[in-house]
Amino acid sequence: MTSHRLSAGGRIDREKTVRFTFDGKSYRGYAGDTLASALLADGVRLFGRSFKYHRPRGLLAAGYEEPNALVTVTTDGAREPNVRATELEIYDGLVAESQNRFPSLSFDVMSVNQFAGKAFSAGFYYKTFMGPVFGPLKGTRVWMFCEQFIRRAAGLGSAGTVADSNRYERMNAFCDVLVVGSGPSGLEAAQKAAAAGKRVILCETDAVFGGSSNWSTIDGRVASEAILAELKDRPNVRLLPRTTVWGYYDGNTLAALERVADHKPAPGKGEPRQRHWVIRAGHVVLATGALERTLVFPGNDRPGVMLAGAALRYAAEYGAMPGKRMAIFTNNDSAYETAARLYVLGAQIAAIVDVRRIVGDRARALAGQAGAEIVAGHAVVATAGRHSVTSVTIAPYAPAAGTLSGAKTAIACDTLLMSGGWSPVLHLASQAGAKPVWSDDLQAFLPPESTSGWEAVGSAAGEGIDAPAPVFEIRAKGAKAFVDLQHDVTADDVRLAHREGFRSVEHLKRYTTLGMATDQGKTANVPGMAIMADALGKPIPEVGTTRFRPPFTGASLGALAAERYGDLRPERLTPMHDWHVENGAGMYAAGLWYRPESYNQPGETVEQAYIREAKNVRRNVGIVDVSTLGKIDVQGPDAAEFLNRVYTNGFAKLPVGKARYGLMLREDGFAFDDGTTWRLAENRFLMTTTTANAGRVMQHMEFYLDCVWPNLKVHLASVTDQWAGAAVSGPKSRDLLAACVTGTEVDNETLPFMGIVHGDIAGVPVIICRLSFSGERAYEVYCGAHHGQHVWEALMAAGEPFGIQPYGLEALGTLRIEKGHVTGAEIDGRTTAHDLHLDWLISKKKPFIGSAMMNREGLTDPKRWSLVGVISLSGEKLRGGSHVVEGTRDNPGRGIGHLTAMCYSPLFGKYIGLALVENGTAHIGTRAYATDPARSGTHIPIEIVSHHFYDPKGERMHG
Amino acid sequence: MAEVPSFIADPVLRDHAASPLAGHLVLGEFGAVSDDGPGVVLSERFGLAIAEAAAWNGVEAKLRAAIKTATGLALKTAPGTGTMKKGASAFNIAPGRWLVSGGTDDLVAALDAAAGENGTVTDLSHGRTVIRIDGPKSRRVLSKLFAIDFADAAMAKGDGFATVHHDIFAQIQRVGDDAFDVYVFRSFALSFWHLLCRSAEEVGYRVD
Repeated sequence: MTSHRLSAGGRIDREKTVRFTFDGKSYRGYAGDTLASALLADGVRLFGRSFKYHRPRGLLAAGYEEPNALVTVTTDGAREPNVRATELEIYDGLVAESQNRFPSLSFDVMSVNQFAGKAFSAGFYYKTFMGPVFGPLKGTRVWMFCEQFIRRAAGLGSAGTVADSNRYERMNAFCDVLVVGSGPSGLEAAQKAAAAGKRVILCETDAVFGGSSNWSTIDGRVASEAILAELKDRPNVRLLPRTTVWGYYDGNTLAALERVADHKPAPGKGEPRQRHWVIRAGHVVLATGALERTLVFPGNDRPGVMLAGAALRYAAEYGAMPGKRMAIFTNNDSAYETAARLYVLGAQIAAIVDVRRIVGDRARALAGQAGAEIVAGHAVVATAGRHSVTSVTIAPYAPAAGTLSGAKTAIACDTLLMSGGWSPVLHLASQAGAKPVWSDDLQAFLPPESTSGWEAVGSAAGEGIDAPAPVFEIRAKGAKAFVDLQHDVTADDVRLAHREGFRSVEHLKRYTTLGMATDQGKTANVPGMAIMADALGKPIPEVGTTRFRPPFTGASLGALAAERYGDLRPERLTPMHDWHVENGAGMYAAGLWYRPESYNQPGETVEQAYIREAKNVRRNVGIVDVSTLGKIDVQGPDAAEFLNRVYTNGFAKLPVGKARYGLMLREDGFAFDDGTTWRLAENRFLMTTTTANAGRVMQHMEFYLDCVWPNLKVHLASVTDQWAGAAVSGPKSRDLLAACVTGTEVDNETLPFMGIVHGDIAGVPVIICRLSFSGERAYEVYCGAHHGQHVWEALMAAGEPFGIQPYGLEALGTLRIEKGHVTGAEIDGRTTAHDLHLDWLISKKKPFIGSAMMNREGLTDPKRWSLVGVISLSGEKLRGGSHVVEGTRDNPGRGIGHLTAMCYSPLFGKYIGLALVENGTAHIGTRAYATDPARSGTHIPIEIVSHHFYDPKGERMHG
Repeated sequence: MAEVPSFIADPVLRDHAASPLAGHLVLGEFGAVSDDGPGVVLSERFGLAIAEAAAWNGVEAKLRAAIKTATGLALKTAPGTGTMKKGASAFNIAPGRWLVSGGTDDLVAALDAAAGENGTVTDLSHGRTVIRIDGPKSRRVLSKLFAIDFADAAMAKGDGFATVHHDIFAQIQRVGDDAFDVYVFRSFALSFWHLLCRSAEEVGYRVD
């Protein structure tokens, strides 16, 4: 390979050599190089294979608009595909590889596709894979079969399966003025706003500020180092290099991606790889510049054909000269200045081929400076060269008619630079809702007059752009002429779409996929539209332009997910969490909460543990952490009245010092939540809800207080986290409390069922309420959450003589199934109070939320599924969620219900469960099957029984 | 201290109380601490008396007066405003609602007594964990988590916000030039602490 590196110049640091590999081969570049500039300097021309045809492709551009040079970067096995080599700053140890080629970039077997060109024309998928209307291949089945092969053959890079260990983060920012782009116009706008005392954020997509003035002086302006230095010193200015603003959302909220560490071998300590910025700006200045367009002609995708401005950027900014002998093909004056500067930097300009017949004096002078012959009124009609350009063929061209005539001439060159005019970068304005306006003069879409919180400045507003001749395509016979290089869409594809009836530019886009690749057609959209307009015989503005959508350039999902790494949710822990873990509990996620599943002793399975724990509750005493229950402080002179309306049963007359079990319905009459509410004082209640529904119950009640009954004087506050709760249950629970509670008696008279007392345990105030979920005599002991572990340990110590054991969710579930108590598994949003045999809680004396709707026909239908118990008759373990059927495995018949819960019952020595069964009560005493064909394959004979397995009269818990 | 039931005021008894961060909060310097020292200093303000005071409609001024009686804190009317004095602080968290904390152990009982017919007081001394973040980079670290403008112009000393970080509800008060107190639900405290430490690694942090 020959070196294309200039001996001096550019902003690269020639003192710092950087080593990297591309497709397994080692290369060297300098600090400040991009992968593209370093490889270009080393003579590399071939960067990738094209999407459909697997054609060899080189660099077209030098920035974010690059369609061809996409690579995959591999870091510790994790792959990031579709990284633009033109933006990838090299670092020591960078490993990059080309994409969409097999087995290698220079020899790619799929490149045969390019000879089957016609077959892959516009609408290829739609036409080829629509199966017949009947038969085995009907509909989309052909497509579904072929898709796997097509996806492999066509496409971009592939993602890996190794987890990305990088960290990402989000940053929220607020400013008065956000300036996007740091070219001369952007810097001036930032300076002006900063001097006025505004809070300013300046985002630059490149590593250095200055924008295109770093390599070009085409509009005669340079970025002032002095302004930059001033901005750096100002406390009200935040400069963000390597930050691409990619989304413009309502309320002047913009999204940006900062590539914090992509240019480093490894991120610094605590540093994210990328940072997702959400910027809320008072005003947005779009100083986003303009992009040079391609010209469409046969062979315009051959490596060595690039944008003129890109070549200048490589030479001026990186000291990497793309070629020795260059030809230029243009429709405007900007290329002449480019030629003159390239000549100064050491390039030989073979010729400037200009479609225009008349070239102005300034351009002629520049061509003279470049030592370049002007071939006016000509166009390039072909390129030659195997992997790279070796010559181009030109022919006389009439720009007005678009016709070619006369003899063709060949020009020997190793690089062809093209300039098809300039398009202001108005993507963000478009995202903000602006409809671009066509300028006949500039042959470009310009941002419209802004009516909202943004403005466009500099070349983004069309300032300083050279007006081109209205020539977008040279129609000549020969090789394919590409419009969209990344999606391999040719000019013929656009015309084919037109012939097949597509008229709208939106349909054209979807049918041909023009502009739908990762580059969003940054260099292709205007030429594509011009060709469509020509086919339609309409002016370009009548064809319209497509809206741009976020992101302007790709944003990684990691950055969007930001700090939600690992588990996606925070963990909610009870005050006794650490004790549970230290004492062998396996923790179980219940919503955001973590609750003990069971406290397994050495060698015990979960099932053995919960059976032991449940038996101990029935025999001695157990203790379970109930801190996760939702707890709501309900206060105010109307609190009792409010609860009376919220619950189905009466609360108005609940005495102070008593608790009551209550049921809530939704407005539509279905059961919503249950729990006990304790009257602590005349105007103060402590409501408990199920763990899962705490938030919803709070919202439900706040809605009623705010919107339905604003006259009720009631305040709600979440006190879920204020109180630690421990339930002690079992026949010896009272003895345990008597041994450790001071300041109150706990005998049956002082503390009857549903009674409340205040006392102390181990020097800490507690509230004790006697209620039972297990069916045994039981108490809930509440204390301030910070005291939770202290009280828990005191209860454990006091309970030792009584054989206390902690129990987890599994045992809790077992005890409640045996007792026939319902939970969220049964209050599932589809069941009524009647279905759950909770009719006894329905007051007939008062209206309440849901009372108006609960007696609708469908809700009182006797065939509704209702709660029953089931017992496994075969001794097999039941599966929660199994269907209840009446037939055998071979002929199960329809489902008549499903199991909501199951456990091994130590009381009965059998597997039992709860189920919702059609007309359940009528089925009691009958037999059926619990079938679970998809998961366990079980089909278990069951007996349907009452859900009250245990102590139906409640003598144990009341005694 | 007045004898009031624990459901009205339940002061944190230091000898028997444990923070949700106990055993997890490790003192020292962590992350990319520069020569200038850590970017932020994190600490837990454990054991504070904390209460939510809520006024009935129309008597907000009377409740503010009650807060002043109980704590000496003179509150303004504007939403989100707050103040601090001698270790006690209060800020507005919703229309007619203030989060009051610090001061003496009988704060909540005193508030409840002073509020009288003008509103309600809910003791949250055990229900919230207060984490202070101080230092030159405190705004940068908080901005990673909250979509709140922490600039001086947007948030005067004493002012506060009720906001949220994904599932974690948080109330934040600016308590110094660069100091902010973040109130989170106790059960989320450890998750939030880990997240905050991780977010502070980049600027270096010290745990006091």
